[in-house]
Amino acid sequence: MSNARDDIDTSLQGRETQAAIDEGGGETQVLQGLGVSPGIAIGPVHLYARASFSVEHRELAPEEVEAEVEHFEWAVSRAEHSLGKILALAREKLGDESVQIFDAQMLMLRDEALYQEVVHRIRNDRCNADYAVVMVMGQHRQRIEASEDEYLRDRANDLQDVEDRLVMHLRRGKHLSAIDPATIVVSENLTAADLLLFSRRGILGCALDRGGATSHVSIMARALGIPAVVSLHGRTDVVRNEDLVIVDGIEGRVIVNPDPATLATYRTRQERYGQLLLEHEQLAPLTAETLDDHRVCLRANVEFIEEVDVLEKHGAEGIGLLRTEVLLLMKGEITFDEEEQFNSYKQVVEAVAPEPTTFRLLDLGGDKMLPVAHREPNPFLGWRGIRVLLDKPEILMPQVRAVLRASAFGPARLLLPMVTNIDELRRFQAFLGEMKHDLDREGHPYDDALAVGIMVEVPGVALMADRFTHEVDFFSLGTNDLTQYTLAVDRGNDRVSELFQEIHPAVLRLIKRTIDAGDKRGIPVSLCGEMGGNPRVAPILVGLGIHEISASPSYLPEVKRVIRAIKRSEAVELATRALLATDAEEVGAMLDEWLTAHGCGFDQFL
Amino acid sequence: MIVREVTVTNQAGVHTRPASMIVRTAARFKSEFLIQKDGYEINGKSIIGVMTLAAEQGTTLTLLFEGSDEEEAAEALAQLFAGGFGEVT
Repeated sequence: MSNARDDIDTSLQGRETQAAIDEGGGETQVLQGLGVSPGIAIGPVHLYARASFSVEHRELAPEEVEAEVEHFEWAVSRAEHSLGKILALAREKLGDESVQIFDAQMLMLRDEALYQEVVHRIRNDRCNADYAVVMVMGQHRQRIEASEDEYLRDRANDLQDVEDRLVMHLRRGKHLSAIDPATIVVSENLTAADLLLFSRRGILGCALDRGGATSHVSIMARALGIPAVVSLHGRTDVVRNEDLVIVDGIEGRVIVNPDPATLATYRTRQERYGQLLLEHEQLAPLTAETLDDHRVCLRANVEFIEEVDVLEKHGAEGIGLLRTEVLLLMKGEITFDEEEQFNSYKQVVEAVAPEPTTFRLLDLGGDKMLPVAHREPNPFLGWRGIRVLLDKPEILMPQVRAVLRASAFGPARLLLPMVTNIDELRRFQAFLGEMKHDLDREGHPYDDALAVGIMVEVPGVALMADRFTHEVDFFSLGTNDLTQYTLAVDRGNDRVSELFQEIHPAVLRLIKRTIDAGDKRGIPVSLCGEMGGNPRVAPILVGLGIHEISASPSYLPEVKRVIRAIKRSEAVELATRALLATDAEEVGAMLDEWLTAHGCGFDQFL
Repeated sequence: MIVREVTVTNQAGVHTRPASMIVRTAARFKSEFLIQKDGYEINGKSIIGVMTLAAEQGTTLTLLFEGSDEEEAAEALAQLFAGGFGEVT
């Protein structure tokens, strides 16, 4: 919730500064955000309902009033229905604490202080239901927030959750079906499920205030091939329905009301991008091999079942990272059920065979949802990844059993998240042994040689990699977290996010150390962080000797194109110099110069 | 009508969970149930109302009951407060 509040603050500030620019409506405006799904979309805007804080007041005609009351009742019953499902699951799988929170939310929905007051407002003030909900809950929240006790003040968040839930249902009923095809959806935020629905209606692109490169909605946009710009921080407030906009998912720009010259330029770029996609399709069956015959294996990072269908088109050699937390949690309903997991996993393994599927066990904690209402002052240094799993055999057991059983249907690998000490690996191996023993007894087939690897995302593990090689089958470098932990920077924090530099020599040295350790014992080293999907960085990775790169499927063709255009020997020379650089800026300059000198052809787009 | 003074004894105060316990308990009785704090009065059968009290540890609250089962209701609620909602006191 604290994040949501930060977003609101930034959004409000953004709105003020934007108000100054807004004077010249109809003029061309360029909004800079973060490009998360490449491609260019040009079309009219469809503004999609925003979150509660920007709810607008609407006066109802007298004959609309009762329909609005009914709409509110409908939203309450929808909210009850979805809370009921969550509650049932929570009761079955989770601790008492979370059950009580959902139970309290359930009570609030029909509480007179909410229900009757909202109905009263709709009837007496003749206002729209979502506005009434926000006003009523806002008053209650203010009372709680006036408390001097910090813990009690925070309880206002529980009211906020109910408010958000209701507003969401009020919106869903009215807006979801109304998305026009061939439009660009502009919104404060979307869920991955929203985007999937919209894509079926044929939207062209999307622009969002919130979200980051690894947000679920961004991953979904890439999987669906919908150009998307996120992290616009309230800048979309200048956009009006039916404005013509360009979404440039490559540069992370949204251009509102472009002038004819800009429009023409972008039409050309759009065409060129189309050609590039065609070239990518031709690249798909080719291997990622340097001019001097050094082969790199390119695999896909996958979160959604839908992405499995696009692997072949992008030339992915199997899945290098299946983030199971999303596969299991995306519908807003948490499932740890073994049978459900087994069915999903089997489906993926069969679709990807003969290439392997790498299952990363649930990486809960950090910035990812924990199965219990659990807050920590320092979640990234707290209870996450393998630490949670080893403490919660009720979560670990069904997942390990499901992966083992799926391994009977095609090649699978197991990847452990957030390992810090070798003891965690050993305890897991012992647990895995027990699970195999149980499956033997029950007569379930599985692949006894199932490879077990660890994520290298803690600097301590990279430094100790040579000691891990005796007990793992492969390493996977999680460079997003590795960079955060090495440089002590939270990349989600705007004030310091510039310090998040994956090509910092400190990070490169840790990568190199891990690869060297793997090479000594013939253990493959994969890289599955975002830098793996950046074609500009590929020469360094090749030079460092990486064996496998795993990235969002749509990024793979460009990476492959670069790898096929360079020589390993020259890349080694570049990487050697990068390791000796003083800081990330120096590496960046070195890289730019190298790319230009070796004609890797990015300028056709920039 | 029955009037009872109670003190919030648990460390965390009347947060979401105790609030839902109060409301669930009160719902078992027919009597009307009001809670007063420093001149502010809310319906004790409304969880949102109870939460807006923001009653921290040490706060004194006045409970008012009126109805056919007011005695039983007062007893049940007073016990809940005395027991600190089963939390750390």
